[in-house]
Order: sequence, then structure tokens, then C-alpha cells
Amino acid sequence: MTSFSIKRVNAIFVKDWKDLQRNSYVLFTLALPLFFAAWLGRIGEDSAEMIAFPIVFALVIAGAFVQAAMVAEEKEKNTLRGLLLSPASVTEVFVGKSLLSGIMTVAVVTGCIWLAEFKVPSLPLFALSIVIALVLFLAIGTLLGLLSRTVMETSIIGMPVMLIFGMSSMFKSMITNETILTVLDYLPNELLMKIWSGLESGSFVGESFLILTVWALVSVAATVVVYRKRRMD
Amino acid sequence: MMEQIIEVNNLVKSFGDKPALKNVDFCVRKGETIGFLGPSGSGKTTTIKILTAQLAATAGDVRVFGEPAHLLKDPARMKKIGILTDNSGLYDRLTVQDNLALYADLYGVRKERIREVLAMVNLLGEERTPVKKLSKGMKQRVTLARAILHKPALLFLDEPTSALDPTTTKQIHEGLRELNREGTTIFLTTHDMDEAEALCDRVAFLHDGEIKLFDTPQNLRTMSGSPTISLLLKDKTTVTVEPDESGAAAIAGYMASGNLLTIHSNEPTLGDLFVQLTGRNL
Repeated sequence: MTSFSIKRVNAIFVKDWKDLQRNSYVLFTLALPLFFAAWLGRIGEDSAEMIAFPIVFALVIAGAFVQAAMVAEEKEKNTLRGLLLSPASVTEVFVGKSLLSGIMTVAVVTGCIWLAEFKVPSLPLFALSIVIALVLFLAIGTLLGLLSRTVMETSIIGMPVMLIFGMSSMFKSMITNETILTVLDYLPNELLMKIWSGLESGSFVGESFLILTVWALVSVAATVVVYRKRRMD
Repeated sequence: MMEQIIEVNNLVKSFGDKPALKNVDFCVRKGETIGFLGPSGSGKTTTIKILTAQLAATAGDVRVFGEPAHLLKDPARMKKIGILTDNSGLYDRLTVQDNLALYADLYGVRKERIREVLAMVNLLGEERTPVKKLSKGMKQRVTLARAILHKPALLFLDEPTSALDPTTTKQIHEGLRELNREGTTIFLTTHDMDEAEALCDRVAFLHDGEIKLFDTPQNLRTMSGSPTISLLLKDKTTVTVEPDESGAAAIAGYMASGNLLTIHSNEPTLGDLFVQLTGRNL
């Protein structure tokens, strides 16, 4: 019977927390969205899209990239094998690892909101959108980490993900093809922007929430499938 | 009948069309220390990986604690085994203490046990040292300490003392004997014949994915013929005699004449037998 132990999850979380404090690569990555938000705050940018951008960027960088780097490093240094050969279940290992990335992402998002002077519309629904996005990007990060052999490789594999999921809004003005523009509208970053602007203007955001949730569920499912295929040598 | 901890029948493992293990059969009884000896590529690590559910067998029946090996992943079952492989990783940025504390928490072991295992692997005093500052041999000892932290019922060791100096090796052998006396069954792979002789109740010779011989070290040595006896005489010449009546008479003669300086038996080593059997060194 599979059990779930909070104590084992906590052990992995504590280990990751201690490791994070000595991991300059991850610390620098986490600081990037904050620098960007601070810069936007200083230049007094007031376009809604630009102010929301650091928050999406924080979700991609802190959620997906940091998680990917942490998972890939465990693979690269053969420590993931040790964890999986211990009494910790796969769920406990990945929940333990995601917990730290999740907390750090929330901290960075909060920092970005403050630094970019983003006005949070409807806190409960905004928080819900962040939680769904967090699940989505942590799953994508885990997936990238599982697909990469080294931490360096996560940057290469993760770059298209960052460009598409994090920065596609910036390229929209350069695209004239209607089909591509329609596809871009369904990407998580666009959906988040729609939700936040909808919450501010009071328009209907249910459909965007639903599509974002589907994105999150599909990402989690894809991660589980990839893990099952790659768990054995 | 003694309880069987590991039972392997007709185990086959292939990587693509390259066979790694060919119809391997063996069993390990409770409390035994079993050694798999063979050169690199003989299938030793593949066997351990299959026994510890890291690798699926192509065919055959593999049971650990009476259940199919692939069920081992259950946390309660995992608590009964310890594993040291050649690529067991450590967290470089964390200290020795932090590395072991993680596993103490995962296995539900009290923290005081960390000092006990560090003493066994001769690393007391290194608790606060970051792993990245340790030598390769010291890292190997931390990994071993981690594998025995929870006093497993079954311990898998893949080349446990490779890269270690003789003093530490001796110390680790003593620690492993102690664990074995306390009831831990040990399955180890090595290419070090001395290690196999020092630790193992039974030894399997693995070559090209097949078990060539599987017996006690003593029985294996006798298979390569009777030992001869070398006599060093006072004039510095060496005489070799058979351990029979004629040999006894010759020894008595040299002793009576006061011409005998030293006497020793030339027992065949496991290494000699392995070469004799497979035509290649370990």
C-alpha cells in the first residue's frame, strides 16, 4: 500500500532549503524577475500588460526554471536515484521538491507585485489564478528537469518554453498571422493576463480559468507519464 | 530450512540484442554474506539493479524477501534494504551531517545513529565538512554510512571498498562483519578476491553474464587442485613437494639434516581459479 508521510516530505523540503541557500545559480535565477520588476517600477511603466509581465515572468522563471534545475541536478549528481531507493515515495519526493519551489515562487511573485506596483484585482480570484499557474509551471519545470540530463541542459530545453509561455505577449505585435495569434491567446501567460484584466474590469473570466486549469492538468499528466517512462534505467 | 532472502530463477537481461545476464540462478539465505565476483561488464551491477528494482528483468523470476523484486519500492519494504552503488550520489553543497540527517529522517532513524555509522567508517569529526571538500574515498565512506544508517536486513554493496586505502578497507570490513553478526544479510559485488575471501560465506564467479561457479571460498580453492608445499633450504634453493606421504618424508629428511629454513603451503587463490576457469583476470 502506498503511504504519504509528511515527515519524509519535510525532510526533503529541509534538505532542499539548506541546499538552496548555497546554490548561487538558483538564487540568481530567483532574483532575475525581482530586478525586472524593480526596473519597471522605477521607469513608471503604466501599461497593464507590462506591469503584469514580471509576474508571469516570475512564475516561469521561479516556478518552471528553478524546479527544472533542481530536478535536473538531482539526476545529474545521481542523488535522485538515492531518494527513489529510500522509503520516500515518488509523490513524496516531488511534493517535497515542489514545495520549496512553490514557496519561493510565491515569495518572488509577491516581491514582483510590490516592486512593479501591480494593483491586485480581487485578491481571492487573483490568488486562485496564481495557484493554478503555480501547479502548471511546477509541473512543466519537473518535466523539463526529467527530460534534461544536466542543469545546463535545462537552460537549452527550457529556453523555448520561457519564450513561448513567458514572453509571447511581447512578440504579438510582430505577428500578423491570425491563426498564430489565436493560438497565442490560449497560452497560459495570455490567459493569466486576460484573467487579471478581466478581474479589474469586472468582465467574465470563467472560460480563461477553465482553460488554465486544463493546461495545469495536462502538464501534471504529461509529467507523470514521462516520469513513469524514465524511472528505470 | 533456512529462510531465503533472495531467490533468482532463470534470470535473463538483455540490452537490445546484447545479453547481459543469461539464465542466472542463485539464492541467498538469511544471514549470509554473498559475493559476486567478476570483471567489469560481467553483469554484477546489472544483477544488483534488478534485485533492487532499478532495472526490469527481460525474463525470469526474481524474489526478494519472498516477493517479486519490482514490489520492493513500497516504503515498508525499502526500509529493510540498504544500497551502495558505484554511482550513489551525495549532496555536494551540504555537510556530511546534513546528508545523513536527510536519510535518518526518511528512514525514521534517531539522529544519534549518525555518529555510530560515522565512527564505523572512520569519519567522526567530519560532520560539519561540506561533502564537496571530501576526497573520493571519504565520499565513498559517507555513502556507505548512509547505506547502513537504518541497519538494513539486506544490504547491497556494489564495489564497496573501491578507491579506499587499505586501513579504511580493513575498518569497513570489520564494520560489515559486525553488521552481519547482528543479522544483516549482505550481497556484495567486487573484483577484489581478497575482499571476497575476507567477507563472504559463498562466492559466485560471474563471467559474460553467467554464473560459472557458486560455492564457499574454501571449496572453490580446492577445486583448482591440492595445494603444494614450498620448502626454502639453507642454501637458498626452493623445493616444492606434494602434501602426501612422499612430501612428508622429504620434509622430515630436510628437518633431520638441519637444512630446512622455511616451510609454507601454496594454496590456490580464488584469482587463480577465476583465471583457470575463464581465461581472464579480474
